[in-house]
Amino acid sequence: MKKKVLLVGGRSKAKSLALSLLHKGYQVTAINDTYEDCVKLSEIEGLSVLYGDGTRPFLLEDAGAFEADIVIALTAKDEDNLVICELSKKRFHVPRTVAIVTDPKKTDFFYQMGIDRVVCAITTITNIIEQQAFVDHMTNVIPIAEGPIRIAEIPVCENAPIAGKKLWEVNLPQDVIIGSVLRGDRVMVPRGDTRILAGDMLVLISGNGTEISQIEEWTGREAK
Amino acid sequence: MKTDQNAYTIIVGCGRLGANLANALSDAQENVLIIDKNKDAFRKLSPSYGGLATAADATDLDALQEAGMVKAGTVVVVTNNDNVNVMVAQLAREVFKVREVIARLYDPERECVYREFDIKTICPAVLSMKEIEKILGKKPTEVTHLAQAE
Repeated sequence: MKKKVLLVGGRSKAKSLALSLLHKGYQVTAINDTYEDCVKLSEIEGLSVLYGDGTRPFLLEDAGAFEADIVIALTAKDEDNLVICELSKKRFHVPRTVAIVTDPKKTDFFYQMGIDRVVCAITTITNIIEQQAFVDHMTNVIPIAEGPIRIAEIPVCENAPIAGKKLWEVNLPQDVIIGSVLRGDRVMVPRGDTRILAGDMLVLISGNGTEISQIEEWTGREAK
Repeated sequence: MKTDQNAYTIIVGCGRLGANLANALSDAQENVLIIDKNKDAFRKLSPSYGGLATAADATDLDALQEAGMVKAGTVVVVTNNDNVNVMVAQLAREVFKVREVIARLYDPERECVYREFDIKTICPAVLSMKEIEKILGKKPTEVTHLAQAE
Protein backbone atom coordinates (compact mmCIF):
# COMPACT_ATOMS: atom_id res chain seq x y z
CA MET A 1 0.00 0.00 0.00
CA LYS A 2 1.13 3.52 -0.78
CA LYS A 3 2.39 5.60 2.12
CA LYS A 4 0.24 8.62 2.78
CA VAL A 5 1.81 12.01 3.36
CA LEU A 6 0.00 15.15 4.45
CA LEU A 7 1.62 18.53 3.74
CA VAL A 8 0.22 21.52 5.60
CA GLY A 9 1.00 25.08 4.53
CA GLY A 10 4.06 26.32 2.72
CA ARG A 11 4.21 27.78 -0.74
CA SER A 12 7.23 26.71 -2.77
CA LYS A 13 8.35 24.22 -0.12
CA ALA A 14 5.03 22.38 -0.38
CA LYS A 15 5.22 22.42 -4.14
CA SER A 16 8.70 20.99 -4.51
CA LEU A 17 8.14 18.50 -1.69
CA ALA A 18 4.90 17.33 -3.26
CA LEU A 19 6.57 16.86 -6.64
CA SER A 20 9.45 14.91 -5.14
CA LEU A 21 7.22 12.72 -2.92
CA LEU A 22 4.77 11.94 -5.73
CA HIS A 23 7.71 10.99 -7.90
CA LYS A 24 8.86 8.57 -5.20
CA GLY A 25 5.43 6.93 -5.16
CA TYR A 26 3.81 8.42 -2.07
CA GLN A 27 0.19 9.42 -1.91
CA VAL A 28 0.28 13.13 -1.14
CA THR A 29 -2.38 15.55 0.12
CA ALA A 30 -1.72 19.27 0.62
CA ILE A 31 -3.65 21.69 2.82
CA ASN A 32 -3.22 25.41 2.28
CA ASP A 33 -5.06 28.45 3.59
CA THR A 34 -4.14 30.75 0.69
CA TYR A 35 -6.41 30.36 -2.32
CA GLU A 36 -3.72 31.35 -4.86
CA ASP A 37 -1.33 28.76 -3.45
CA CYS A 38 -4.05 26.11 -3.71
CA VAL A 39 -4.53 26.97 -7.37
CA LYS A 40 -0.77 26.68 -7.96
CA LEU A 41 -0.61 23.36 -6.08
CA SER A 42 -3.60 21.91 -7.92
CA GLU A 43 -1.63 22.17 -11.16
CA ILE A 44 0.45 19.25 -9.92
CA GLU A 45 -0.85 15.99 -11.28
CA GLY A 46 -1.90 13.42 -8.70
CA LEU A 47 -1.85 15.83 -5.76
CA SER A 48 -5.01 16.27 -3.68
CA VAL A 49 -5.40 19.84 -2.48
CA LEU A 50 -7.61 21.13 0.34
CA TYR A 51 -8.26 24.83 0.87
CA GLY A 52 -8.50 25.89 4.52
CA ASP A 53 -6.82 26.32 7.88
CA GLY A 54 -4.81 23.19 8.63
CA THR A 55 -4.75 23.87 12.36
CA ARG A 56 -8.47 23.01 12.49
CA PRO A 57 -9.11 19.39 13.46
CA PHE A 58 -12.04 18.84 11.10
CA LEU A 59 -9.98 19.93 8.11
CA LEU A 60 -7.17 17.55 9.03
CA GLU A 61 -9.77 14.82 9.31
CA ASP A 62 -11.17 15.67 5.87
CA ALA A 63 -7.65 15.47 4.49
CA GLY A 64 -7.40 11.91 5.82
CA ALA A 65 -5.23 12.50 8.88
CA PHE A 66 -6.46 9.25 10.43
CA GLU A 67 -4.82 7.22 7.68
CA ALA A 68 -1.77 9.43 7.19
CA ASP A 69 1.68 7.92 7.79
CA ILE A 70 3.52 11.23 7.86
CA VAL A 71 2.35 14.78 8.53
CA ILE A 72 4.67 17.63 7.57
CA ALA A 73 3.89 21.14 8.86
CA LEU A 74 5.39 23.82 6.63
CA THR A 75 3.56 27.02 7.57
CA ALA A 76 5.48 30.22 8.29
CA LYS A 77 4.18 30.39 11.87
CA ASP A 78 5.83 28.28 14.56
CA GLU A 79 2.67 28.13 16.66
CA ASP A 80 0.63 26.81 13.73
CA ASN A 81 3.18 24.11 12.99
CA LEU A 82 3.22 23.09 16.64
CA VAL A 83 -0.57 22.79 16.77
CA ILE A 84 -0.74 20.89 13.47
CA CYS A 85 1.78 18.32 14.70
CA GLU A 86 0.25 18.01 18.16
CA LEU A 87 -3.23 17.51 16.74
CA SER A 88 -1.87 14.93 14.31
CA LYS A 89 -0.13 13.04 17.09
CA LYS A 90 -2.72 13.21 19.82
CA ARG A 91 -5.99 13.22 17.95
CA PHE A 92 -5.20 11.33 14.77
CA HIS A 93 -2.33 9.16 16.06
CA VAL A 94 -0.11 9.86 13.07
CA PRO A 95 3.07 7.78 13.47
CA ARG A 96 5.46 10.46 12.23
CA THR A 97 5.24 14.23 12.42
CA VAL A 98 7.70 16.73 11.00
CA ALA A 99 7.67 20.49 11.61
CA ILE A 100 9.75 23.34 10.33
CA VAL A 101 10.57 25.98 12.89
CA THR A 102 11.60 29.58 12.24
CA ASP A 103 13.04 30.36 15.65
CA PRO A 104 16.12 28.15 16.30
CA LYS A 105 15.63 28.52 20.06
CA LYS A 106 12.36 26.62 19.87
CA THR A 107 13.83 23.46 18.33
CA ASP A 108 14.34 21.70 21.67
CA PHE A 109 10.91 22.77 22.88
CA PHE A 110 9.27 21.27 19.80
CA TYR A 111 11.06 17.95 20.40
CA GLN A 112 9.97 18.13 24.03
CA MET A 113 6.36 18.45 22.85
CA GLY A 114 6.64 15.10 21.10
CA ILE A 115 7.21 16.11 17.48
CA ASP A 116 9.29 13.43 15.79
CA ARG A 117 11.45 15.64 13.59
CA VAL A 118 12.07 19.36 13.79
CA VAL A 119 13.77 21.14 10.93
CA CYS A 120 15.10 24.61 11.55
CA ALA A 121 15.59 26.29 8.20
CA ILE A 122 17.76 29.06 9.65
CA THR A 123 20.18 26.72 11.42
CA THR A 124 20.42 24.46 8.38
CA ILE A 125 21.03 27.30 5.97
CA THR A 126 23.56 29.12 8.15
CA ASN A 127 25.47 25.85 8.59
CA ILE A 128 25.66 25.38 4.84
CA ILE A 129 26.62 28.99 4.17
CA GLU A 130 29.33 28.84 6.81
CA GLN A 131 30.82 25.72 5.26
CA GLN A 132 30.55 27.02 1.72
CA ALA A 133 32.13 30.33 2.68
CA PHE A 134 35.18 28.87 4.34
CA VAL A 135 35.93 25.84 2.21
CA ASP A 136 35.06 26.62 -1.37
CA HIS A 137 36.58 23.49 -2.91
CA MET A 138 34.40 21.23 -0.83
CA THR A 139 31.64 20.61 -3.28
CA ASN A 140 29.08 19.13 -0.97
CA VAL A 141 28.83 18.92 2.80
CA ILE A 142 25.93 17.34 4.63
CA PRO A 143 25.73 17.97 8.36
CA ILE A 144 24.10 15.17 10.35
CA ALA A 145 22.74 15.37 13.90
CA GLU A 146 22.76 19.19 13.82
CA GLY A 147 26.42 19.48 12.90
CA PRO A 148 28.80 17.20 14.82
CA ILE A 149 28.93 14.58 12.05
CA ARG A 150 29.51 15.62 8.48
CA ILE A 151 29.66 13.92 5.15
CA ALA A 152 31.80 15.82 2.68
CA GLU A 153 32.45 15.22 -0.98
CA ILE A 154 35.92 16.36 -2.05
CA PRO A 155 37.72 16.10 -5.39
CA VAL A 156 41.37 15.01 -5.63
CA CYS A 157 43.25 17.31 -8.02
CA GLU A 158 46.50 16.70 -9.99
CA ASN A 159 48.91 18.24 -7.49
CA ALA A 160 47.24 16.82 -4.39
CA PRO A 161 49.69 15.10 -2.03
CA ILE A 162 47.23 12.26 -1.60
CA ALA A 163 47.08 11.42 -5.33
CA GLY A 164 48.79 8.15 -6.24
CA LYS A 165 49.03 6.99 -2.64
CA LYS A 166 47.54 3.85 -1.20
CA LEU A 167 45.03 4.41 1.54
CA TRP A 168 47.23 2.91 4.28
CA GLU A 169 49.97 5.38 3.33
CA VAL A 170 47.68 8.31 4.05
CA ASN A 171 47.82 9.65 7.55
CA LEU A 172 44.16 9.56 8.55
CA PRO A 173 43.24 11.62 11.60
CA GLN A 174 41.18 9.98 14.31
CA ASP A 175 37.80 11.44 13.49
CA VAL A 176 37.87 10.96 9.72
CA ILE A 177 37.22 7.96 7.48
CA ILE A 178 36.94 7.72 3.72
CA GLY A 179 33.52 6.20 3.15
CA SER A 180 33.81 5.63 -0.57
CA VAL A 181 35.77 6.63 -3.65
CA LEU A 182 34.02 7.71 -6.82
CA ARG A 183 36.03 7.11 -9.97
CA GLY A 184 34.16 7.95 -13.14
CA ASP A 185 30.98 5.92 -12.97
CA ARG A 186 32.40 3.47 -10.47
CA VAL A 187 31.78 3.57 -6.74
CA MET A 188 34.35 1.82 -4.57
CA VAL A 189 34.38 1.15 -0.88
CA PRO A 190 38.09 1.59 -0.22
CA ARG A 191 40.34 -0.86 1.57
CA GLY A 192 43.82 -0.27 2.89
CA ASP A 193 45.41 -1.15 -0.46
CA THR A 194 43.14 1.02 -2.58
CA ARG A 195 45.19 3.56 -4.53
CA ILE A 196 43.77 7.05 -4.73
CA LEU A 197 44.19 8.74 -8.10
CA ALA A 198 43.93 12.32 -9.27
CA GLY A 199 40.39 12.97 -10.47
CA ASP A 200 38.81 10.76 -7.84
CA MET A 201 36.03 12.05 -5.70
CA LEU A 202 36.31 11.11 -2.03
CA VAL A 203 33.31 10.81 0.24
CA LEU A 204 34.44 11.65 3.72
CA ILE A 205 32.71 11.04 7.02
CA SER A 206 34.03 13.07 9.90
CA GLY A 207 33.25 14.16 13.42
CA ASN A 208 33.88 17.53 15.09
CA GLY A 209 34.74 19.40 11.90
CA THR A 210 38.19 17.79 11.60
CA GLU A 211 37.79 17.42 7.86
CA ILE A 212 38.50 21.06 7.09
CA SER A 213 42.21 20.97 7.93
CA GLN A 214 42.57 17.52 6.44
CA ILE A 215 41.06 18.55 3.13
CA GLU A 216 43.54 21.40 2.80
CA GLU A 217 46.39 18.98 3.30
CA TRP A 218 45.08 16.33 0.93
CA THR A 219 43.92 18.37 -1.97
CA GLY A 220 46.95 20.65 -1.86
CA ARG A 221 44.84 23.75 -1.87
CA GLU A 222 44.39 26.39 0.74
CA ALA A 223 41.03 27.30 2.05
CA LYS A 224 40.22 30.83 1.04
CA MET B 1 0.07 30.97 52.91
CA LYS B 2 0.65 33.22 49.95
CA THR B 3 4.19 34.30 49.26
CA ASP B 4 5.10 37.18 46.98
CA GLN B 5 6.45 34.75 44.46
CA ASN B 6 3.16 32.91 44.14
CA ALA B 7 1.14 36.08 43.82
CA TYR B 8 3.02 37.20 40.72
CA THR B 9 0.72 36.78 37.73
CA ILE B 10 1.54 37.19 34.04
CA ILE B 11 -1.28 37.86 31.58
CA VAL B 12 -0.54 37.35 27.90
CA GLY B 13 -2.79 39.29 25.54
CA CYS B 14 -4.32 42.65 26.39
CA GLY B 15 -7.74 42.26 24.85
CA ARG B 16 -11.01 42.84 26.66
CA LEU B 17 -10.57 39.74 28.80
CA GLY B 18 -6.86 40.26 29.50
CA ALA B 19 -7.22 43.94 30.32
CA ASN B 20 -10.23 43.47 32.59
CA LEU B 21 -8.54 40.62 34.40
CA ALA B 22 -5.39 42.73 34.85
CA ASN B 23 -7.47 45.62 36.22
CA ALA B 24 -9.31 43.34 38.63
CA LEU B 25 -6.13 41.69 39.93
CA SER B 26 -4.42 45.05 40.26
CA ASP B 27 -7.40 46.40 42.24
CA ALA B 28 -7.07 43.35 44.50
CA GLN B 29 -3.46 44.43 45.25
CA GLU B 30 -1.85 41.55 43.36
CA ASN B 31 1.37 41.80 41.37
CA VAL B 32 0.48 41.71 37.69
CA LEU B 33 2.45 41.92 34.44
CA ILE B 34 0.58 42.12 31.17
CA ILE B 35 2.19 41.38 27.78
CA ASP B 36 0.88 42.33 24.36
CA LYS B 37 2.77 42.73 21.12
CA ASN B 38 0.86 45.91 20.32
CA LYS B 39 1.45 48.68 22.85
CA ASP B 40 -1.75 50.50 21.80
CA ALA B 41 -3.65 47.62 23.38
CA PHE B 42 -2.65 48.90 26.82
CA ARG B 43 -5.18 51.74 26.43
CA LYS B 44 -7.77 49.24 27.62
CA LEU B 45 -6.13 49.17 31.06
CA SER B 46 -7.80 51.39 33.61
CA PRO B 47 -5.99 54.56 34.81
CA SER B 48 -5.73 53.04 38.26
CA TYR B 49 -3.93 49.93 36.97
CA GLY B 50 -0.89 49.51 39.18
CA GLY B 51 0.84 46.59 37.47
CA LEU B 52 3.46 46.39 34.74
CA ALA B 53 2.84 46.40 31.00
CA THR B 54 5.37 45.09 28.46
CA ALA B 55 5.07 45.39 24.70
CA ALA B 56 6.62 42.17 23.42
CA ASP B 57 5.95 39.09 21.32
CA ALA B 58 5.03 36.38 23.81
CA THR B 59 5.98 33.60 21.38
CA ASP B 60 9.60 34.75 21.70
CA LEU B 61 11.52 32.82 24.36
CA ASP B 62 13.75 35.77 25.24
CA ALA B 63 10.74 38.05 25.75
CA LEU B 64 9.21 35.54 28.17
CA GLN B 65 12.52 35.21 29.97
CA GLU B 66 12.74 38.97 30.30
CA ALA B 67 9.19 39.13 31.62
CA GLY B 68 10.35 36.89 34.46
CA MET B 69 8.16 33.95 33.61
CA VAL B 70 10.28 31.61 35.72
CA LYS B 71 9.21 33.51 38.81
CA ALA B 72 5.52 33.70 37.97
CA GLY B 73 3.06 31.71 40.04
CA THR B 74 0.28 31.96 37.50
CA VAL B 75 0.23 32.58 33.76
CA VAL B 76 -3.02 33.42 31.97
CA VAL B 77 -2.87 33.20 28.17
CA VAL B 78 -5.71 35.05 26.48
CA THR B 79 -4.59 36.30 23.05
CA ASN B 80 -7.11 36.17 20.24
CA ASN B 81 -5.21 33.38 18.44
CA ASP B 82 -5.74 29.80 19.63
CA ASN B 83 -2.48 28.51 18.24
CA VAL B 84 -0.47 31.26 19.93
CA ASN B 85 -2.28 30.43 23.17
CA VAL B 86 -1.40 26.74 22.79
CA MET B 87 2.27 27.48 22.24
CA VAL B 88 2.67 30.12 24.95
CA ALA B 89 0.80 27.97 27.49
CA GLN B 90 2.99 24.97 26.73
CA LEU B 91 6.14 27.10 26.88
CA ALA B 92 5.06 28.43 30.28
CA ARG B 93 4.31 24.95 31.53
CA GLU B 94 7.16 22.90 30.09
CA VAL B 95 10.05 25.34 29.68
CA PHE B 96 9.41 27.78 32.51
CA LYS B 97 7.70 25.26 34.83
CA VAL B 98 4.96 27.68 35.89
CA ARG B 99 2.72 26.06 38.49
CA GLU B 100 -0.63 27.29 37.23
CA VAL B 101 -1.30 27.91 33.56
CA ILE B 102 -4.70 28.96 32.24
CA ALA B 103 -5.43 29.41 28.55
CA ARG B 104 -8.39 30.51 26.52
CA LEU B 105 -9.36 28.38 23.56
CA TYR B 106 -12.01 29.46 21.06
CA ASP B 107 -12.16 26.10 19.33
CA PRO B 108 -13.01 23.35 21.84
CA GLU B 109 -11.84 20.72 19.36
CA ARG B 110 -8.23 21.72 19.94
CA GLU B 111 -8.44 20.99 23.66
CA CYS B 112 -6.88 17.55 23.27
CA VAL B 113 -3.43 19.08 22.78
CA TYR B 114 -3.53 20.44 26.34
CA ARG B 115 -4.67 17.27 28.04
CA GLU B 116 -1.43 15.79 29.27
CA PHE B 117 0.19 19.09 30.26
CA ASP B 118 -2.04 20.04 33.18
CA ILE B 119 -3.06 23.33 31.59
CA LYS B 120 -6.51 24.64 32.47
CA THR B 121 -8.54 25.72 29.48
CA ILE B 122 -11.41 28.14 29.26
CA CYS B 123 -13.61 27.86 26.23
CA PRO B 124 -16.04 30.77 25.69
CA ALA B 125 -18.34 28.77 23.41
CA VAL B 126 -18.70 25.95 25.95
CA LEU B 127 -19.22 28.39 28.84
CA SER B 128 -21.86 30.34 26.92
CA MET B 129 -23.58 27.14 25.97
CA LYS B 130 -23.75 26.03 29.60
CA GLU B 131 -25.15 29.41 30.65
CA ILE B 132 -27.76 29.37 27.91
CA GLU B 133 -28.71 25.82 28.80
CA LYS B 134 -29.05 26.91 32.38
CA ILE B 135 -31.38 29.75 31.37
CA LEU B 136 -33.35 27.50 29.07
CA GLY B 137 -33.43 24.76 31.67
CA LYS B 138 -34.67 27.17 34.31
CA LYS B 139 -37.48 28.71 32.32
CA PRO B 140 -39.88 25.78 32.23
CA THR B 141 -39.51 25.22 35.97
CA GLU B 142 -40.10 28.91 36.62
CA VAL B 143 -43.14 28.82 34.42
CA THR B 144 -44.56 25.80 36.23
CA HIS B 145 -43.64 27.38 39.51
CA LEU B 146 -45.58 30.50 38.57
CA ALA B 147 -48.40 28.42 37.27
CA GLN B 148 -48.56 26.57 40.55
CA ALA B 149 -48.50 29.81 42.51
CA GLU B 150 -51.43 31.20 40.68
